[in-house]
Amino acid sequence: MTLRLNRRRFLMGSSALMAAGAVGLRPVLAQDGRIRLLFWGGQDRADRTYGVSDLFESQTGAAVDGEFLGWGDYWTKLGTQTAGGNAPDVMQMDYRYIVEYATRGAIAPLDEFVGEVLELADFDADQIEGGRVNDQLYGISLGANSVAMLNNLSAFEQVGIDPPDRNTTYADWREMGEAFNSSDIGMKALSDGSGVEPMLDNWLRQQGLMLYTADGELGFGEDEAVEWFRMWQELREADIIVSAEQQALDTGGGLEATMVVQKLSASMPSNSNQLVAYQSLMEDDLSISSYPRIEPGSGGGHYRKPSMFFSVAGSSSAKETAARFVNFFVNDVEAAEILGVERGIPCAEHVREALAPQLDEKSRIALEFVANLDDLLGPLPPPPPPAAGEIDSSLLRTISQEIAFGARSPEDGGRAFVEGARDILSRASS
Amino acid sequence: MTASSLESGSRGAGNKVGTRNVLAKIWQQDGPGYMFLLPWLIGFFGLTVGPMVTSLYLSFTDFDLLTDPNWVGASNYVRMFTADPKFAAAMRVTFFFVIFSVPLKLAFALLVAMLLNRGLRGLPLYRAIFYLPSLLGTSVAIAILWRQLFAGDGLVNQFLANFGIDGPSWISNPRYSLWTLIVLSVWQFGSPMIIFLAGLRQIPQDMYEAASLDGASKFRQFYKITLPLLTPVVFFNAIVQTIEAFKSFTPAFVISGGTGAPINSTLFYTLYLYQEAFGFFRMGYASALAWFLLAMIAAFTAFSFLTSKYWVHYDD
Amino acid sequence: MTTEAHNLTVVGTESSKSRRRIISIVSHVILVGASILMLYPLLWMLASTFRPENEIFTSSSLWPSSFSIDSYIRGWNGLRVSFGTFFLNSFIISIVSVIGNVFACSLAAYAFARLEFRGRKFWFALMLMTLMLPYHVTLIPQYVLFLQLGWVDTFLPLLVPKFLAVDAFFIFLMVQFFRGIPRELDEAAMMDGCSAWRIYYKVMLPLSMPVLATAAIFTFLWTWDDFLGPLIYLNDMRSYTVQLGLRTFVDSTGESDFGGMLAMSVLTIVPVFVFFLFFQRLLIEGIATTGMKR
Repeated sequence: MTLRLNRRRFLMGSSALMAAGAVGLRPVLAQDGRIRLLFWGGQDRADRTYGVSDLFESQTGAAVDGEFLGWGDYWTKLGTQTAGGNAPDVMQMDYRYIVEYATRGAIAPLDEFVGEVLELADFDADQIEGGRVNDQLYGISLGANSVAMLNNLSAFEQVGIDPPDRNTTYADWREMGEAFNSSDIGMKALSDGSGVEPMLDNWLRQQGLMLYTADGELGFGEDEAVEWFRMWQELREADIIVSAEQQALDTGGGLEATMVVQKLSASMPSNSNQLVAYQSLMEDDLSISSYPRIEPGSGGGHYRKPSMFFSVAGSSSAKETAARFVNFFVNDVEAAEILGVERGIPCAEHVREALAPQLDEKSRIALEFVANLDDLLGPLPPPPPPAAGEIDSSLLRTISQEIAFGARSPEDGGRAFVEGARDILSRASS
Repeated sequence: MTASSLESGSRGAGNKVGTRNVLAKIWQQDGPGYMFLLPWLIGFFGLTVGPMVTSLYLSFTDFDLLTDPNWVGASNYVRMFTADPKFAAAMRVTFFFVIFSVPLKLAFALLVAMLLNRGLRGLPLYRAIFYLPSLLGTSVAIAILWRQLFAGDGLVNQFLANFGIDGPSWISNPRYSLWTLIVLSVWQFGSPMIIFLAGLRQIPQDMYEAASLDGASKFRQFYKITLPLLTPVVFFNAIVQTIEAFKSFTPAFVISGGTGAPINSTLFYTLYLYQEAFGFFRMGYASALAWFLLAMIAAFTAFSFLTSKYWVHYDD
Repeated sequence: MTTEAHNLTVVGTESSKSRRRIISIVSHVILVGASILMLYPLLWMLASTFRPENEIFTSSSLWPSSFSIDSYIRGWNGLRVSFGTFFLNSFIISIVSVIGNVFACSLAAYAFARLEFRGRKFWFALMLMTLMLPYHVTLIPQYVLFLQLGWVDTFLPLLVPKFLAVDAFFIFLMVQFFRGIPRELDEAAMMDGCSAWRIYYKVMLPLSMPVLATAAIFTFLWTWDDFLGPLIYLNDMRSYTVQLGLRTFVDSTGESDFGGMLAMSVLTIVPVFVFFLFFQRLLIEGIATTGMKR
C-alpha cells in the first residue's frame, strides 16, 4: 500500500499531472460501509434510484455509490469489472444474462438472506421463481411486465376502425391491415414481427410449445419454424406489414427508430412498461393490447416477466449490506413511492397496494394490463439457456431479414434457423 | 551516414582497446538512441507488452470473462477457418470496406488539400469547415443523422425525387448499407487532409516557380513535383488509414446498433470481435480473432514497407 | 501566402493572370458547394436543437418552426452532475494529454528517424505492431493492470500512457515528417559539435512546428472524443468526460431526451472547433519559422 501510494505520488510529481491532481486524482480505497451499485437506464431512473439510496443511507448509515450507463455500455463495463475482480456489490441484471452470470459464479446466491435480511413473504411467486437459477435465488425482481402490442390509437381512429383488444387474432390483424391499405393514411397496420423473439415465443406458447425447454434444448421443430416464417411471408405478400427496408431501420438501438415512432406502422410488438416512454416521444395517443391470438379462445401465450433484477456480486465483501439494500429497494413503501412503476409493476403486494392510487393514466394502463391478463396468462417459462441471446440477436433477426429481403424462402429459413439454433446451443454447452 | 562510418571505424580498432573503452564506444554509438527512446520503452514494456502477451495467451483458451481461462490449444483458430460462417461474412465486409473507403478517402483528402493550398482567401474557414464532420467523430448523434439522410424518406431520396428517381432505403437495404458507411468514412476525411496540408506546405515553393518558368503544366507539376515530394505523407496516410479501416468499429457499431444488420451487411471484423467478447462472453475466441487481424494488418504493412523503396521519396 | 500569390503574379503574363482568376473563382465555387454538402447534416443537427422534441424526427428543413433553447437547458442540467463538470474534466484530460504526447512521441520519433543505434528496425517494427492490435482485446488485461496499480477511478490510466508515448500513431506521424526534413541541416549542426539532444532541441523541433501542431490538434481532438477509456476507468460521475456524459444521456431501454442529446452534441463540438481554429494558426505560423519557404 505504501509502495503504491509512493509510486503514484512519484508519477504525479514527476510529470505535469500535479495540475490535474486537484480535480480527479483521488486514491481508490476500499471504504468500509459503502457499497457500489451499477445499473442501466436514463436520468429519470437514476434520480429515482439515487433518491432511494439516499433514503437508505439516512436510515441505516450505509452509503451507496450509484453509477448508471446506457444498455450497451453497461455490459461492456460490467464484464470488464467482473473480469478484473472489481464488480459492483449490487448490479442490475437482465433475464437474458442472469444464467450466464449465475452459472459462472459472478453473482451470489441470496437464499441464506431470505427471511431475515430479505423479506419475500408477500412477493409474487412467479417473480421469485424468475430469479432462480438451478434452484437457487440469484436475482430479486424489481418489477413485473409483459409483452404487449403498442398501438397508435389516433391512427386507428383516422382509418375508422376499432383498435385491437385482448381478443384480436392474427386473422383480425390481416383485416385491419387491409382497412389501413384502403385508407389514405400512408401507414401499415403492423410492423414485421417475424424476427421478434418474444412474439415467436408467444405464438409457440399458444400452441403448447415453448422456445426453450428446461434442459436448455429447443422447444419446437422445423415445422413450426417454417410455419412461423410462412405466416409472416403471407402477411408481407399481402402488403399488411411494413417492407423489409423499413423494418431494417429498427436496429434495436433506440425507441426513436421503431416503426410506430417513425409512423411507418400503427402497431408493433413491445412491452407493457415501455408505454410511458413511447408516449413521451409522440403526440398521437398510444395504448397497449395483448399479442394476437392464433385463433379465437387460444391463450396462455403471455407471462409476467421480471423486467430486471438486482443481483449481488459473488466477489462482494459486503454481501449482507448489499442484500439489505435490495430488500429496502423492493419492500419499503417510501422507497416505492420514489420509484413508481418506472422499472415495472412492483412485486410485493403491500407495495403495489400503497402505490396504485398515485399513478398517472399511462402508468395505470400498464399496471392494469399486467394485472388482468387472465386467460392470456400462461406459466413462467424456465430461464433461457446462456446461448439464447446469441440465437435471438445473430440468428433469428438475420434469418427473418434474409426472408424479408428475398434471399431465402420461408422453408429454407425455417430449416436454417432450427439447425443454426441447435448448433449454437450445443456449442455453448460444450 | 556519419554514425555508420564511425561504427565501422570503431569495429576495426575494437580488438586493441580495453573493455572500458568498448563500453564507452557502445554508449557513444547506442546511448543517445536509447535515451531518446526511453519513455517509449518504459510505456511499451510497462503498459503494452503485458496486455498484448496476455491476449495472445487468451487466444488459446476458452476465457469467458467470468471464470478462469482453460487452455484449448489452437481450436479457436481452427474454428475460425473451418466452422464459422460469420467470420467469413465479417472478412468479406471488412475487405470491401477497406478497398473502397481508403482510396476514396485519400483521394478526396488530397484533392481538397491541394485546392486549399492554392493560397485562396478564407483558407482557415474552409479548412475548419472541412474538418467539422471529423469533429463529430464517434458521437451517437451520427446514428440519427445518417438515418435522417439515408432512410427511405430521407434527404438523399428527397433530393433524388427531383430527378424522378425513387431511391431505396439505403441504410437498411443490405445491398447498399455498407456504402452508407463508406460515405461516412469519406465524409470524415479531415485528419488525412490536415496531414496532406502540412506535407504540401513543406514543399519548397521555388520548385514550382522554376517549373512554371520552364513551362511545365499544372498537371505535370503535380505529377513531377507534388506527388513525388509528397510520397512520405501519402505513404503515411495510406498505411494509417488502411490500419484504421481494418480496425474500424464505431461507425458500424453506432449505425447498426451493434448488430451488423441488415443481414450482417455491416458486420465489421471488429464489430464481430466485440460481439463475441462482450455480447456472447467468448473473450478467448475474440482474442484469436484479434491476433488474426493483427497478422493480416502486419502482412499488409510489411508488404507496403518492402515496396515503399520503389515509390516513396525520402530526403536522404 | 501573400508572398506566394505575389511571386506567381510576377511570373505570370496577362493572359495567364486572368486564367488564374477564373481558376480561383471556380475553386471557390467548388469549395463553397462542397462545404454546403458537407455541412448540411450538421446544420440539420443544429436546427434540431432548437425544435420541440416531437418535431425532431419528422422535419428535414433547416429552419425550426419555433425557436426554443429548452433543449440546451434540459441537456446542460439533464444529469445529476452538470455538463460544466464534464467539460472541465475533458479539458484537463485533453490538455495534459497534448503535452505528454507531443513531448514523449517527438523524443521517440527523433530516435527512430535520425539516430543510428542497434535494434532500431526491430523496435520500429514493434512500435508499428502496437498500432495494429484492436483495443478491445487488450482492454481487460490493461484494466487489470491499472486496477492493481490502484489507478481505477482516477485520470491516471488516461494520462500516464500519453507521457510514455503509447500512442504509436503519433510516433509514426513524426517519423515520416522528420525524414522529410533535409539531412544537411542536422549534419551541419553535428559538424559544429552539437549533441543529439541539442540537435533535437535546436534544429528538429523548430523545423517541425507543422507536425507538432498537427499532433497537438489530433491528440486534443481524439482525447476529447475518446469514449471507451473513460467508460472503463471512470466510475464516479463527477469525473466523467463530456463524451461519457453524452452517452449516459442516451439509453436504449427507455426515456431518452433527443433534443437535449443533440444540443449537448453541438456544445461538445464547440470547444474542439475553437481549439482547431486557434491551433491551425499555429500550424501556419510554424511554417513561417521553418526556413522551408525561401
